[in-house]
Amino acid sequence: MSDLADSAPALPAPTLAEPRPRVAAALADDAQLIAACRRGEARAMEMLYHQYKRRVFGMAHRIVGASDAEEVAQEVFVRIFRALANFRGDSALSTWIYRLTVNAALSHLSKRGRRNEVGDDGLGDLPAPPVAERDPGLAARIEAALARLPAGYRAILVLHDVEGLSHEECAAILDCRVGTCKSQLHKARARMRELLGPDLESHGKDPA
Amino acid sequence: MTCEHVQKRLTAYLDGELDGDRGSVVRGHLRACATCRQIASDEAALRDGLRQLPPVDPPASLWAGVQARLAEAEVADAKRPAWRRALARWAPLAPRYALGGLVAAAAVTAIWWRTHRDADPEQATATPSQVLAADTTPAVPATALAVDISADLAAESDRITATYAETAAELLALASERRHEWAPDEQQAFDAQVAALRSAIDDASAERPRHRAWRSLIRYLQNAVVRDQIALAGGAP
Repeated sequence: MSDLADSAPALPAPTLAEPRPRVAAALADDAQLIAACRRGEARAMEMLYHQYKRRVFGMAHRIVGASDAEEVAQEVFVRIFRALANFRGDSALSTWIYRLTVNAALSHLSKRGRRNEVGDDGLGDLPAPPVAERDPGLAARIEAALARLPAGYRAILVLHDVEGLSHEECAAILDCRVGTCKSQLHKARARMRELLGPDLESHGKDPA
Repeated sequence: MTCEHVQKRLTAYLDGELDGDRGSVVRGHLRACATCRQIASDEAALRDGLRQLPPVDPPASLWAGVQARLAEAEVADAKRPAWRRALARWAPLAPRYALGGLVAAAAVTAIWWRTHRDADPEQATATPSQVLAADTTPAVPATALAVDISADLAAESDRITATYAETAAELLALASERRHEWAPDEQQAFDAQVAALRSAIDDASAERPRHRAWRSLIRYLQNAVVRDQIALAGGAP
């Protein structure tokens, strides 16, 4: 018993999800901003853009890739401003914007004919992105592995792990049950581990 | 607990979602199993790595691109015929009408069924034992059901009427913009027809004929505005 206690291995500690600090406007502020945007006030529209530009562009960038991210982000913002009149406030503004972004990104991929990325099949056939070999840093390896994931897995990983949203928020955005969201996240992380290779903790650390 | 069981629960464990005994069992297994411990460490490193990914800054050109596309869309809006803009505002309400129709149909069916059952002539001549058997079903007062639903129906009917009125007003405004293009006899025919259709709305004794009359007015106005088809006669409600 004491031997076990002395040589007890360090366990990876469970931690509660800590959302990345966000410029989360209070509901009342959101309502004022929405009302001003509906009236077509240029300053309010620019404020809303600046409030959400990193989240929208970041999501688009990680789901569709760098080359098409700007096009998708543009489309999302156009949809936001055009559809704001119909936004009924059933969900938070941020949830609605995330949903528009994920839908636009997935729809863009679908139009682009990259359906093989949505399923689980064919992953082994995809060539490894060269960036992973050039840069041993964990962040770069993770970004490269993310790009090789099926699009649905990318969406849940980015929403939950990168953006720090709860399972309930992810489920609302992806229009699925919380249980489905959790199981998709589990599968997505397992696939990421496969792509990143074993012993991730000791060999993949960023120099910083 | 087997490795397979533990590995299925690793995501939930690392995210702090397993409390009490469930977390303890996973921890106990990890202490004893080096393979699962390595997988858990990798997943924790992955999760932390994902959380720490730097935000991606959008290019400076993004906002200009958004503004340009919004401007393009507004120009395209302006080129769309006025009737399509009016209809586009009206179309999103269509599901509400469908829902209102369903509620109304359900209410009418329920009321008819209860009334019909209560007035069933066979029950009037039923033997005492049949009456007793029928009485064992819990009776819901028909009036209670009708009152509850009628309040919703009245509200829905008011909403529909308000939408019809709003649409008709928009179409009338559009018609008045185009009026100068019409010949005098067409203007007279238009005024007469609108007046007739309006009085049909006022004269309608019940909700359904009143809504039908509103729809006739809207259809006539749409035709007049969109296609400049001003019926000199006919188009009766």
